[in-house]
Amino acid sequence: MQQPEIHDFLIRYFSSNGCDFEESLPGKLTVQLTEELDRELTNRPFYWHYLEKTGGIPNPMKLTFLTDREAFPDEKGEFIHFGSPRLHQLFTSAKKLAGYVRLYENNGTPAGQQTPLLPWLCVNLKISYQCDRKRDVYQSIGLQLINGRMVSDFHERLVEMNLTPKIPDYSFTLSPLILPKSGLARIQNLLKEGIRKEDHSWAEDARKRWQEDLDLLDHFYEGNEEMPESLETEKTALKEQYEPKINISVINGGLFYLTGTAI
Amino acid sequence: MTAQIHFDSSWQDGLADRVSNDGPWANWDLFKLAVEAEKQTLIPDFEGLQAPGRLPQLTPLPHQLEVAKRVVEHMNGKAILADEVGLGKTIEAGLILKEYMIRGLVKKALILVPASLVSQWAAELNSKFYIPAAAQRKSYVWEQCDVVVSSIDTAKRNPHRDIIYKQDYDLVIIDEAHKLKNNKTKNYEFVQSLKKKFCLLLTATPIQNRIEEIFNLVSLLKPGHLGSESAFFEKYKKAARSVHDDDHLRDLVNKVMIRNRRGDTGIEWTKRHVETIPITFTTEERELYDAISSMRHEAGGLTSSQFSLITLQREACSSREAVYFTLRNMLERQETKSQAYEDLIGDLIRKIERISTNSKAEKALELIRKINDKVIIFTEYRATQLYLQWFLRQHGITSVPFRGGFKRGKKDWMKELFEKKAQVLIATEAGGEGINLQFCSSIINFDLPWNPMRLEQRIGRIHRLGQKKDVEIYNFAIKNTVEEHVLKLLYEKIDLFEKVIGELDDILTRLELGSVEEHLADIFSQSGSEGEMKIKLDNLSAMVKFAEDMKGGEPRAATGNP
Repeated sequence: MQQPEIHDFLIRYFSSNGCDFEESLPGKLTVQLTEELDRELTNRPFYWHYLEKTGGIPNPMKLTFLTDREAFPDEKGEFIHFGSPRLHQLFTSAKKLAGYVRLYENNGTPAGQQTPLLPWLCVNLKISYQCDRKRDVYQSIGLQLINGRMVSDFHERLVEMNLTPKIPDYSFTLSPLILPKSGLARIQNLLKEGIRKEDHSWAEDARKRWQEDLDLLDHFYEGNEEMPESLETEKTALKEQYEPKINISVINGGLFYLTGTAI
Repeated sequence: MTAQIHFDSSWQDGLADRVSNDGPWANWDLFKLAVEAEKQTLIPDFEGLQAPGRLPQLTPLPHQLEVAKRVVEHMNGKAILADEVGLGKTIEAGLILKEYMIRGLVKKALILVPASLVSQWAAELNSKFYIPAAAQRKSYVWEQCDVVVSSIDTAKRNPHRDIIYKQDYDLVIIDEAHKLKNNKTKNYEFVQSLKKKFCLLLTATPIQNRIEEIFNLVSLLKPGHLGSESAFFEKYKKAARSVHDDDHLRDLVNKVMIRNRRGDTGIEWTKRHVETIPITFTTEERELYDAISSMRHEAGGLTSSQFSLITLQREACSSREAVYFTLRNMLERQETKSQAYEDLIGDLIRKIERISTNSKAEKALELIRKINDKVIIFTEYRATQLYLQWFLRQHGITSVPFRGGFKRGKKDWMKELFEKKAQVLIATEAGGEGINLQFCSSIINFDLPWNPMRLEQRIGRIHRLGQKKDVEIYNFAIKNTVEEHVLKLLYEKIDLFEKVIGELDDILTRLELGSVEEHLADIFSQSGSEGEMKIKLDNLSAMVKFAEDMKGGEPRAATGNP
């Protein structure tokens, strides 16, 4: 992630959370936090607790971020780069605050005509392949809740559309035949089926490494009449170190009502 | 199925709630941001390092990156990091910890380091790696913080010990791990009982001559890697006393250990200049030294006491204060006071009282004035340290003391005083470990340790990454004393000072004769005459030379990278 991208991320994060910018220059940003965002980011529960008890006037913090250190060498402010804990706090916060959406496509239906909108379930996922190493894969899947059609890279198509949180004039939604819950089950099955067909040599290799270390361990305690407690500890540690696992987690998702020609 | 698939279904409940309550729904912009953020933090590959991309203000050296990569990709996160002093093992360990944290494979980590380095480690992890490491100060830290830095001596004691055993550590890092070479110690037992999913053992002096030390260290990391204890010793103890002598064993050790030498790193190091400064005793100093030496031939008396003559001789080469301190202890600890014994010591004390100048201190003063810059003086003796501080102050030179026994805060403070205010730092041996003083480029070895490893650690305080100037090392040796013999052997014959420890390792292990320090002590205390001592020293140096010649032209030996 380059510095200008990070700068752009900051602007979008704070403006979509309703914050005002006191200063917005290339490389420097001063943000007046809202009360909600102060609670979310500044970690001062005692202050807020105190205010609640005393009924005082909230005074949310103002933060200054620098994304171009060289342009503002003497400026006081937090330098934000890809490794800074603050950026990752914002990443986590964005995920937490934006787990679910419901949106409608607005294709500018002319007055007098009625446009039907089809219901879609969108799920953005992270698949983690984990043993003593780790790798992640991102997937976005859309499931049409009437005919069960499934589409991949769904989110990437959504971002190209004109979407609004309110149902547009002259549009109406069709009722889903598939419940979101069973839609999600279908997506889950499809993913698992796909994963099973993948190359699993990484997991087989991990199991081999695991077995090798287990053999060594047995060899080490060979001939001991009593097995020491540390043997069990070592075995548990090896299981945690090597056991291959695939974890699928949902980043976010939601319901999208789209025109018949959208996808 | 080779891997279990687990689907996190917690998201679906939230969706059901929002459908039935008609919201609340997030805004579209934030939703898109969340996806972008997640894509940015995705780990695209099992291989490679993510950490450097998140540490724009840190520029790891190529060998440090290589170590991190090798540990993660080929050593399954269990390794002995044994780079030579000053190559940045802390950076390597930090990179590996960071990499595992980014990949989500490590959440809780325990870092055990010498007490004097606890705050330095915690500060470096925070400032260089953005790892929120907490220095252990209160017992609740173990449970509340994910990354804790502590001294092993604190950790192994209750109430800490019990709490630590309940924690599930993903990574354990142990600095100065060569201290765990004895598997009968409480420290060893403590570390052995920790659950170690991933584990890094850091040491600059991993393989000395003893094969059991390497066995114990490797077995701590990966039990069974070198077989069971009985099978191992049956196989190797008789055949070879050093790891170098067995190709199979060498390969095994190299699978769990990485050792970079200065020469391997491709970095341009500043030079080391070594100068031996011969010093002549004053008549009074000589009388004291000779009186001590002559006791060797007398029956009973001092030789039967727990204090060895050799210690007194070495002290006499350092300062009269050092001798006096030991003599006083000898008198105090003597249980049955014999008149002869007291007379003997009384005689020595009278000789001490007659000494009015310290020849070495005079020389040091002259040198410090000539250098006219920061200087570190190393001495083995506290009494000498105190004397030197007083002596330098008499001549208007500012100095600060440094000892291993100082508390963390005091060490940091002394280091800062030295950097900003004082010209001279006077350190005892124990103070040699773990502080970085690369802003200084001159060392005076006021007296010499006989263990070459300790000498390398002294030099390593200043001749390390970040040193901009050539390093000057001045060795003081009193003519016609034990000290001169040692220096001649170590410096002139083995060429110790200009060699760095990596080469030395090879030579030492080739010796197959136990540690050099033991040898020297044996030679100096058992020899009946000056002549016998010289012959034995010559033998020793001949053996070192022989080992060195054997090594010539061979590929990288055991401690190197494959």
